[in-house]
Amino acid sequence: MPENSQDPIQHNVCHYAGHRYDDLDHRLYPDEADVVIVGAGAAGGVLAYELSRAGLKVVVIEAGPFWNPQSDFASDELSMSTLGWQETRLVDGNDPLKMGHNNSGRGVGGGTTHFTGVFLRFHESDFETKTRDGVGEDWPITYQDLEPYYDYIEKQIGVSGPKKFPWGPFRGPYPMPEREPLSANAEVFRRGCEKLGIPSVVSPLAINSAPFDGRPPCINRGFCNQGCMPNAKYSGLVFHIPKAIQAGAEILTDSMVTRIELDDKGKATGVVFTHDGVEYRQRARVVILSSFVVETPRLLLASAQAGHPDGLCNSSGTVGRYIMPHSSHDLYGRFEEEIRLYKGTPVLATTQEFYETRHDRGFRRGYTLHAHGTRPVAMSKGLAASGVWGRRLRDTMVHYNNYGRITLVGEVLPHADNRVTLSDEKDEYGLPLPLVSFTYGQNDHKLIDHAVHQMKEIMKAAGGSPEFVVSDTAHLMGGTRMGDDHETSVVNEFGQAHDVSNLFICSASVFVTSGGGNPTATVMALAARTADYLKDQLRQQEL
Amino acid sequence: MERKERIKTHYPDYDVLSQQDHWDDHTREIVLKRLDIPGQFQKLTGDEADLIRAMAALFVDDARSDLLDYIVKHFDNKLRSDKGESERKPNVPPQKHLFKKGWRALDHLASTRYEQPFPRLSAEQQIALLVGMENDTETLETPDGETVPAKPFFNAMLTETVSAYYSHPLVWSEIGYGGPAYPRGYVRSEYGLTDPWEAKRDA
Repeated sequence: MPENSQDPIQHNVCHYAGHRYDDLDHRLYPDEADVVIVGAGAAGGVLAYELSRAGLKVVVIEAGPFWNPQSDFASDELSMSTLGWQETRLVDGNDPLKMGHNNSGRGVGGGTTHFTGVFLRFHESDFETKTRDGVGEDWPITYQDLEPYYDYIEKQIGVSGPKKFPWGPFRGPYPMPEREPLSANAEVFRRGCEKLGIPSVVSPLAINSAPFDGRPPCINRGFCNQGCMPNAKYSGLVFHIPKAIQAGAEILTDSMVTRIELDDKGKATGVVFTHDGVEYRQRARVVILSSFVVETPRLLLASAQAGHPDGLCNSSGTVGRYIMPHSSHDLYGRFEEEIRLYKGTPVLATTQEFYETRHDRGFRRGYTLHAHGTRPVAMSKGLAASGVWGRRLRDTMVHYNNYGRITLVGEVLPHADNRVTLSDEKDEYGLPLPLVSFTYGQNDHKLIDHAVHQMKEIMKAAGGSPEFVVSDTAHLMGGTRMGDDHETSVVNEFGQAHDVSNLFICSASVFVTSGGGNPTATVMALAARTADYLKDQLRQQEL
Repeated sequence: MERKERIKTHYPDYDVLSQQDHWDDHTREIVLKRLDIPGQFQKLTGDEADLIRAMAALFVDDARSDLLDYIVKHFDNKLRSDKGESERKPNVPPQKHLFKKGWRALDHLASTRYEQPFPRLSAEQQIALLVGMENDTETLETPDGETVPAKPFFNAMLTETVSAYYSHPLVWSEIGYGGPAYPRGYVRSEYGLTDPWEAKRDA
């Protein structure tokens, strides 16, 4: 029971009019729900809310805990790495990925509890890279198909941003005013851009610039990556999930889904999950996997059964393939004056001037650059991973307050060999550990080189001297991509599996290409679109 | 040739802990706990703790014992935790084994080559071994002949050491980091501005 029923976040989390049983034998929809959603992250939250408010019986099963920001979050880097998915994944390839807090979430809210709140739409070109640029693959939808859902989500969660946005099909204004004041790091970034004639903006953010939905504006604490304590930043934890519960959804937390079950006609009947070492079953008319890029293919592959020998929904052989991170190199530059990278929302200034393909650059597609604050642990770990340690590290970190930072979010082209498979090692549930293989392609390397050069130019124009480039990646997309052709994709444009008609996949895992900007807005817009489709289908008894 | 004195801090008068009354309870508990060093460690032998101290002192270029003790405690916590390690390469043993075997193998290498365990070597000898692991030119083997991947061991030790060191409030004070900031936040976050309680550069 919440101690303070006025707390806008906590007052809706308990089930059955304020009471919630600890054991899972007392559940809201023990016989059958309309929809069971695996994963309470960016997509799962939107789906849970939209479907439950339409009167459907919704159960969300989440592997991690139901966080309370006030008592579970802290202003501390080291302890808050728990917001990432820390269960071990095996990684290989020429460029093995950093997982955990780097690109995933665990617990209600998923990655939205620790994302920087950057809320960028994809551009028209992102959905047709093959037609326009001869690389990657076209999506089965266009920007116009998704546009109403971007509009809807941005208004729903009160995205703050500029009145005018200079790139892509959406030119503003954002529903809420842009954030101010800026941080010093964002100011010098914009100054550098201006000197070079590069347009820049105050970043569109899922962070309150004014009171919204009972939550206060941001206090510039700067700990977006460690979990927002004032609840000024959007997350599924503080927005969609409490509203979904109010609308009748049940959220089963600390519960790991281990298997999807089918009936003898090949339709999904529900999922099996483990809570506190005990196995339970949740039946549903529709199963939705919103379990991100690694766990979704892992669960499908581990659910191989009669009729599906290579894993569920894998008649195309593409389950697990075409995974893409963003290249996300950081440039640290030293300034005479203090920048203090710890202050203010980490990302407050952005340019997408390099987003679209240009034929004089030697590579296809493009990237976004952000002014990007950071803290001592992240900075020193990044430097150490780049070979800076001992005296050089200490002499650098003693000037921590004099560093500014620019970070790349670069498009990575899809490749079939970049994939999630099952390894021979098992986890505590007896599930095979996923093996995540990733290698950059030539185009990706050229894009990174171009971006790093550009970041250095901006840093110099801003008055900083570029000192360290730290190679990194961010986000993860693909693995169960959407498409019209059931031989080369896993789901259709609505996330409906080609092979199992009442099984849906809805998360960054359905992305066909990575885009050159932060993916969360697109994940949530896709979820709203899938929710609309599902409501229609269920109403018409099609599923 | 004139040499400038090496600067260890620009903020000699700043103590981030003096702000702890402005922190939320949960954060304060987490940070203050870092100052408590147990009399003995649960998962580490005395020799292992000495080895960690010796490696860490070189990684962070700091030999102060209270900081090194906290780093050792961080490794003890790692060994006690049942959390995953986010990612691991298939040819690298799980982190707890990597540490335990790596420590034995490094001491074994030091004893074989210099007839002394690692912590008793000169700084030059120690650095030579660390660089050899970093460049993957040293082969690590436990006394029972089990190979330990040298570079992954080096990287894991370095990453955990640095993560602990830059989480210590004494180090936060020295680099002028504001530290915990809830519920207060920042009023003056723009270029050139600081809130009254923040570190002021005076060295």
